[in-house]
Amino acid sequence: MKYKDYYAVLGVERGASQDDIKKAYRRLARKYHPDVSKEPDAEEQFKQVGEAYETLKDPEKRAAYDQLGRHQAGQEFRPPPDWESRFSPGGFEDLDLGDLFAHFGARPGRGFSGRAGERFAMAGQDYEVSATLALEDAARGTELAIQIAVPESGPDGVRRRTPKAVRVRIPKGVIEGERLRIPGKGGPGLNGGPAGDLYLDIRLEPHSLFRASGHDLYLELPLAPWEAVLGAQIDVPTLDGRISLAVKPGARAGQKLRVPGRGLPRPKGGAGDLYCVLAIVTPSDPSEREKALYRELASASRFDPRAHFKKGEPA
Amino acid sequence: MSDDAILQFLDEATDIAMDELLAASGLARAELLELVELGAFGPRPGARGGEPLGDPAGWRFSSRTIVLGRRAARLRDDFGLDAAGMALALAYLERIEALERRLRELECQLLR
Repeated sequence: MKYKDYYAVLGVERGASQDDIKKAYRRLARKYHPDVSKEPDAEEQFKQVGEAYETLKDPEKRAAYDQLGRHQAGQEFRPPPDWESRFSPGGFEDLDLGDLFAHFGARPGRGFSGRAGERFAMAGQDYEVSATLALEDAARGTELAIQIAVPESGPDGVRRRTPKAVRVRIPKGVIEGERLRIPGKGGPGLNGGPAGDLYLDIRLEPHSLFRASGHDLYLELPLAPWEAVLGAQIDVPTLDGRISLAVKPGARAGQKLRVPGRGLPRPKGGAGDLYCVLAIVTPSDPSEREKALYRELASASRFDPRAHFKKGEPA
Repeated sequence: MSDDAILQFLDEATDIAMDELLAASGLARAELLELVELGAFGPRPGARGGEPLGDPAGWRFSSRTIVLGRRAARLRDDFGLDAAGMALALAYLERIEALERRLRELECQLLR
């Protein structure tokens, strides 16, 4: 079994009081809590902090943990011999220290709780997993195989984490931040308790062309200066094929052209809109002829794009 | 591999019963009622609009309330918050989410 240094995780001394442990936990929880933190590895950090606190906050579990002695974090170690006979006759090699402590009280007749003979029905663990979908998959619907590690009791009665794949059919129309619940697909219940649930937090992969806001899609539509001035009929990509879009003369950068119903589909029918955001782009390497034409245009035009500066300028 | 599973959208369009909300959120009934009283979230309006009449056991909620209820229970467990603290934190988190949605919408309109 691999050693985990719960005191180091919480950043407290081995002799810390229960109150200090609680304070250290609260401080770290505030930093890494998934509802609060935006740090990239917050979820993993919070899990470790939570596991450490679960063990150290309970004086019985803490005493049992202290019995293991001091080791380097991540180092393989052997628990004292009486541990093996009491908790895991099958050995500890593939066990996770956190799992072992998590089920001390829960496993009837075992562990440090001393509640021999009692068999509590316990609901299985809920899992919250974030799933990232390509925009096209969110639009069409897709199938996901969600990997979770579920504790299962072996023949020796010891619970070990077993990988489990839950196949989930995602219907069309999910959006960024969508929450889905798949009842009964979490961890198995104990002693007749119901299975836990699986919760999915949907994220959308960035797309090379479209940006999504709810069910609406945005597409940057670049125009040549003459297209903006004269208007143009332009082929525009959408999630389901190209459409032809009329850009009226006198188009301005940042203007939005709304194409109804060409956004992401909604689960119960209908769809969001596609917004084409106009950009006016210039050739990066104009030819001599093009430059000459622009110069001619510059001398022929009386257009002053900064006319309004004169009114608002400080004297 | 398990079979295709039933899937529930946690959104404003889908309904759930009080019992389901309690089971899924891990909130105690008294806590849930207090959170409703504090305005953290509410049941579906009654037949005449406004608070539904009768036994709260018969109340129905939008399924999105599960997300809020679970969040409240997590904040309670991890920070030792009471109902007032949970309601306040939920309100802030919802405000942040609304701002993030607005920010995303505006970012979509920016030219690259």
